[in-house]
Amino acid sequence: MSETKNSSRGIAGILDAFDGFIARIEEFMMATGVILMAVNTIANVISRFIFNHSIIFAEELNSVFILLVTFAGVGYAARHGRHIRMSAIYDSMSDRKRKLMMILITAVTAVCMLFLAYFSVQYIIDLQSKGRVMPALGVPIYLVYLWVPIGFFVTGIQYALTMVKNIREKEIYLSTNLHEHEAQEIEV
Amino acid sequence: MALTIFLVMIVLLLMGFPMMIPLLIGAFIGVVSLFGDIAKTEFVVQQMLGGIRPASLIAVPMFILAADIMTRGHSADRLIDMVMAFVRHIKGGLAVSTSSACALFGAVSGSTQATVVAVGGPLRPRMLKGGYKDSFVLALIVNSSDIAFLIPPSIGMIIYGVVSKSSIPELFVAGIGPGLLILFLFSIYSMIYATVKGVPTEAAASWGERFTTVKRALWPLGFPVIIIGGIFGGIFSPTEAAAVSVLYALLLETLIFRSITFKDFYSIAKSTGLVTGVVFILVGAGAAFAWVLSFAQIPQAILATIGINEMGQIGVLFVIAIAFFIGCMFVDPIVVILILVPIFAPVIKSTGLDPVLVGTLITLQAAIGSATPPFGCDIFTAVAVFKVPYIEVVRGTPPFVVILLCVAVLMIFFPQIALFLRDVAFPR
Repeated sequence: MSETKNSSRGIAGILDAFDGFIARIEEFMMATGVILMAVNTIANVISRFIFNHSIIFAEELNSVFILLVTFAGVGYAARHGRHIRMSAIYDSMSDRKRKLMMILITAVTAVCMLFLAYFSVQYIIDLQSKGRVMPALGVPIYLVYLWVPIGFFVTGIQYALTMVKNIREKEIYLSTNLHEHEAQEIEV
Repeated sequence: MALTIFLVMIVLLLMGFPMMIPLLIGAFIGVVSLFGDIAKTEFVVQQMLGGIRPASLIAVPMFILAADIMTRGHSADRLIDMVMAFVRHIKGGLAVSTSSACALFGAVSGSTQATVVAVGGPLRPRMLKGGYKDSFVLALIVNSSDIAFLIPPSIGMIIYGVVSKSSIPELFVAGIGPGLLILFLFSIYSMIYATVKGVPTEAAASWGERFTTVKRALWPLGFPVIIIGGIFGGIFSPTEAAAVSVLYALLLETLIFRSITFKDFYSIAKSTGLVTGVVFILVGAGAAFAWVLSFAQIPQAILATIGINEMGQIGVLFVIAIAFFIGCMFVDPIVVILILVPIFAPVIKSTGLDPVLVGTLITLQAAIGSATPPFGCDIFTAVAVFKVPYIEVVRGTPPFVVILLCVAVLMIFFPQIALFLRDVAFPR
């Protein structure tokens, strides 16, 4: 963390603050998304038992929440190095090879995510021109999907930053704020 | 094309890429070679979003949330105490208690990892004190926690149900039989182990103590009633049962046990959100990959090469079992289900196999594979949770794996192990 303090001036400081802000949004989206999903589903059960009919838009609401949670979670997991991977062979390599490998992994992953961000924008533009709406909620589908490219983009940037950090510094980083040696402690 | 895709995927996987990347790159290669146009990657996005959307998948985050709440609360301890009071005095009693508590907590939480943490955590020191060797204790905990994968609620079964479009309630009920059979066989092995190794037997609990522990465990025992009873009785869909158990877990741990506060709930929901994101991006990437596969008719090609059409039902089941067993030795069961189920889908249909039987067998194989070296993911959970060397976790595993494989073979020849309860609950 001392690293961050030294560089928290000028543009780097603004970027850090902005990054922290994004992290907070991701956390908020993940937690409230999950809670709202639970509330919505329970409300639907209660409504069916008491008023004898289901809430018509309950399923559509859940599909909105799961999008929010998934694409916030993907970025958050990238930030904290929590994406599932098979690291057994990687772990048995020498430090130098692991470092090169991590640079390659983060670079390819970043490119894939940014690639998907671009194509999800294309997909949204497509959807918007077709004017499809969610039948029960009456909301245009493309509005709901706007969150998707943002999630891919933030994830891609996270991996790109991790790559840069691995190139610039001596140690190996699994994500921008997760040093390799700390990883074993939390890996559950 | 199929060969290129699979080779690239395996290489990326072994190199240690995040697991979504091999799936996505497999899909990219497929799209480019099918359409010759990179712009068609839009389809990959479309399929990913479609893969995440099914309403029944909402059960996954809900069950994870309920399990997260219980892992931090007191439910597991109370269940453990009750099981202990009844069986600890028999030969190998501590081991049998551990196994049973894992199965019982599996019926409450549905998550293998939550079971390792919540049941294995407190029971390992007690078993070590009781004179068991650590390698046996670790193997017992890891393999018994896998019963949680079979006993409803089961996250693996939900994902199989969505991918294969088969009934999740039927799958849930079908998992009970094999789950109990495994528990029974593990218990017998534990008794033999304790007799051979001369592990001392614990003092019996008085009936007074038993009564108290049952009373204390009554609240947590409400979970299986809600989940299995609710789904059996057709009162809830699996997703609704999951949401109701979230509410139940929350009320239990905040109002009755007072083990967590509403503020803790926010951070629990956050960690559930994280796990959900990690799993669902895989589900999405898997859906995109499966779409490419089926569009290019790759499954039919692969299955024809190994001559599966001449094998008959039993042969097909064996091929499926072996494929899933090997797959799960290397990667997360969810990824294996996402990749392999679409490949086998055409042959399951053409041989007229019961998709519920196949799903139960697959879930069992996934459980076995994830506890099998070299890379079974449960081994690494145990390494991380207990902070023990890899080899220590692996050393006691073989007898358990043999037992589990026997159950798999039994299930292939006697499908009634899985289907009996299903047929009772859902008469055709």
